[in-house]
Amino acid sequence: PEAPGLPLRQRLAVAGAVAAAAAAGWLYLRQQKERQRRSRRLRDLRALALGRGDFQLRDTAGAARSKADFLGRWVLLYFGFTHCPDVCPEELEKLGRAVELLERDAALPPLQPLFVTVDPERDDAAALARYLRDFHPRLVGLTGTPEQVRAAAAAFRVYVSAGPRDADGDYVVDHSVLTFLVDPDGLCRDCYGRSRTAEELARSVRAHMDAYEPLPP
Amino acid sequence: AAGMAAPTMEERKACWGARDEFWQCMDSHGDDAAKCEKLRRAFESRCPQQWVKHFDKRRDFLKYKKKLETEGYRPPEAAGKS
Repeated sequence: PEAPGLPLRQRLAVAGAVAAAAAAGWLYLRQQKERQRRSRRLRDLRALALGRGDFQLRDTAGAARSKADFLGRWVLLYFGFTHCPDVCPEELEKLGRAVELLERDAALPPLQPLFVTVDPERDDAAALARYLRDFHPRLVGLTGTPEQVRAAAAAFRVYVSAGPRDADGDYVVDHSVLTFLVDPDGLCRDCYGRSRTAEELARSVRAHMDAYEPLPP
Repeated sequence: AAGMAAPTMEERKACWGARDEFWQCMDSHGDDAAKCEKLRRAFESRCPQQWVKHFDKRRDFLKYKKKLETEGYRPPEAAGKS
């Protein structure tokens, strides 16, 4: 006569199946939570609508560039100035390294590094070209009239404040230190401060690229 | 564009190096500026004046931050306030 209930092997099989189902359920819920967190952040960024306004600036070749010129591409954008003591070179190096890391993956869409000056009085096309030579080769620099630059910075809520001039007429410009990720539809998807490393930037940009769905027409 | 050109990469690195040497000297002499005069002069000659001011402020900030981390925050005593 058989012992009551299922034989051991079958009991183990059932226990295993239950455990697997529980694990799968837990993983699914965790994934859902992460998806919800991402979509909430995206909703917040969309509501903030950073950079939605257009900009009218000029690149180092003197050509006029507006927001439309960069649609269809991902953009990593940093606001700074060439007379910056330390922060801007560090952030631009970081930006360049992040772009390099992502360039290694041919499956990813192209990423355009972009620099906009917050010091248009000194940073003309020639000054920008000289400065940006030391950073990523595809880094595009934009400048313009003080009004145009002010409007571009305002569109991204970037704080800009030129300090007092010294006897030589030199000054530093206090400004928000942020790198913005803009998607192919021209919407800001994320922004990165000084504490993020190049590797973290690359990881985050990659995650945004993977999760990206073009806006419906 | 008015005034002098922005420092090049080489000039920046020379400035940062001079700054770091000066700061190392200050660290090892308990911020006794008299002991580090030569390095201070080198620092001032390698960096634009605006940058010297910026880095001086930065050093003060870093020291203050360190003080907060080690000693904790002590609100300034305000005479006559409850």
